[in-house]
Amino acid sequence: MEPVIHLNDVSMAYGCNGTRATALARISFDIRQGEYVVITGESGAGKSTLLTILGGLQVPTEGVVRIGGADLSSLPADGLADFRRETIGFVFQSYHLLPYLTARENVMVPMSQERIPPREKEERANDLLASVGLAGKEDRLPSQLSGGESQRVAIARALIHDPPVLLADEPTGNLDSATGEQILDLFSEWHGRGKTVLMVTHNKANLFRATRSIRLRDGQVEEDRLLRLLPAESAAV
Amino acid sequence: MNIRKLAWKNLLRRKSRAVFTGLGIFLGIATFVAISSITSQMEGASQDQLDRFGANIVVSPRTEKLSLGFGDIALGGTEVTHFRLTMADKDRIASIHHKARIRSIVPILMTGVDASGKNLVWMGLPGTEMAIARPWWKIQGGAMLTRGEVLLGAEAAFALDKGSGGTVTAGNRRYRVAGVLQPTGEKEDGMVIADIADVQALAKKPGAVTYFEVAALCKDCPVEEIVAQIGQALPGARVSAIRQVVESRKAAVDQLRRLGFGVSAIVLLIGGLMVLVTVMSGVQERTREIGVLRAVGFRSRSIFSLLFLETGWVSLLSSLLGAGAGIAVAYLASPAFGIDHPSVVFSPAIFGAVAGLSLGLIGAIPPARRAAALSPTEAIRSL
Repeated sequence: MEPVIHLNDVSMAYGCNGTRATALARISFDIRQGEYVVITGESGAGKSTLLTILGGLQVPTEGVVRIGGADLSSLPADGLADFRRETIGFVFQSYHLLPYLTARENVMVPMSQERIPPREKEERANDLLASVGLAGKEDRLPSQLSGGESQRVAIARALIHDPPVLLADEPTGNLDSATGEQILDLFSEWHGRGKTVLMVTHNKANLFRATRSIRLRDGQVEEDRLLRLLPAESAAV
Repeated sequence: MNIRKLAWKNLLRRKSRAVFTGLGIFLGIATFVAISSITSQMEGASQDQLDRFGANIVVSPRTEKLSLGFGDIALGGTEVTHFRLTMADKDRIASIHHKARIRSIVPILMTGVDASGKNLVWMGLPGTEMAIARPWWKIQGGAMLTRGEVLLGAEAAFALDKGSGGTVTAGNRRYRVAGVLQPTGEKEDGMVIADIADVQALAKKPGAVTYFEVAALCKDCPVEEIVAQIGQALPGARVSAIRQVVESRKAAVDQLRRLGFGVSAIVLLIGGLMVLVTVMSGVQERTREIGVLRAVGFRSRSIFSLLFLETGWVSLLSSLLGAGAGIAVAYLASPAFGIDHPSVVFSPAIFGAVAGLSLGLIGAIPPARRAAALSPTEAIRSL
């Protein structure tokens, strides 16, 4: 199967005034369509940097990143923006909803630049909010939602363009364990619908849902472990 | 949801910031419109006052210099006049094409006549037009001049030892001294001023006029054209514009206009800087929000449009309100600036509204560009 994500010798170094810190050092791996990959590691291991590179938010200092056939390092700034909108769904630890917009409006934000009839935009947002269990709460502001509900809105926002890849940075980090489980259930559900999920997490419980685990240490892949086969592979076996 | 709605929602969320951003433009445009309107009206009022301040065209008979000599010996010369002005010429002057611009035509007759045994120059002018011809005269005694009355210049009164209420005898007739001029420093200090009909009778020159003083309304006045037209109406006359008067009027009005523009420019500049600083600090505060928008796929152009729209709306609204407030202030404050009949001047308001909007948008460009150029990584780091 053609990998949906391909990293080859990817390095990322930050530096100024002569000092240089390496966040990622020559990382290479492939991720296939439909995988649920959990990225773990200590603080400073390079997990968030890896996620921002995969999300097209920054370009590595060295190496090749190819997602869905697109070479990210060759895309112009607007091309990267289009890539993020169409290919990637981002979920952040702190939800990062716009506080002055309702749940529905927050979900519709990624569609702001598109000439889609407003009614159609609203219907899509309402459907997604219903699918994450927020039917009836579309008109609430983030301040009127619980942490779990806010994260559900953030997930709906990430899914509004039906992206093939979902990137999540500690999505349960600010939630209690029960609510965190519900959020992880949502990711499992969307993974079950064919999405490729990459999740940075400290939560070991996530390993039971994932198909693969990549552990980073000092900017390098310390361990890349297959946890279970993809449904298609299981069927073949 | 679209960029416009997003911008509008954000404005409503940050009402106090929007008000503060708009306040700079509002005050700038209100000041600009008020100053411009008042200056414009003052320009008209001062022009009117200046026009009232005497004549700016003199019409006199054309003369030729005649040199007299015998052989190589020069015997001096004299001026020969081929043409004499009369009272009837007033109507000819008043019939020129630009007659609507002529405010007054005052005939003056100068003649030397004995007054109570002293040879003095008499100036004759229509008594009823004295206030128009010489509005700056300060007269002790009666300010009106009717037939049978005279005014004495300060030196003439001293020479005749006469004051207000006295009498002066000339040509076997007695004239009552209606008043005495305060010293002017001009030739009239030594003159006797009487109604032109009395002076014509004394000089035995009925209908004669030495020269006409013409006051033309000169706001954007084609004074040269008026001079040419009077010259055509009176071919034998020499018509001269008193350039100094014309130029000084223009200079006074120009100074007013420059002052108005200078003050307005400074206020507008301050308004523009307020927009720049407010929007710039807004961008810094919104780095996180911009990071979210970049992460969900907003292009740089969309971020630019978002900030540009927000500032554009604030600028438009505050410019319109500022223009309205400026008109109101100008109207209410006009009497304090010597404008007796205040009117609403729309041109500064229209210019002000356009300038305010432009200023706001120009002021928003640097911060909007900065926000648009914000690297997603930099923005996302604040998440």
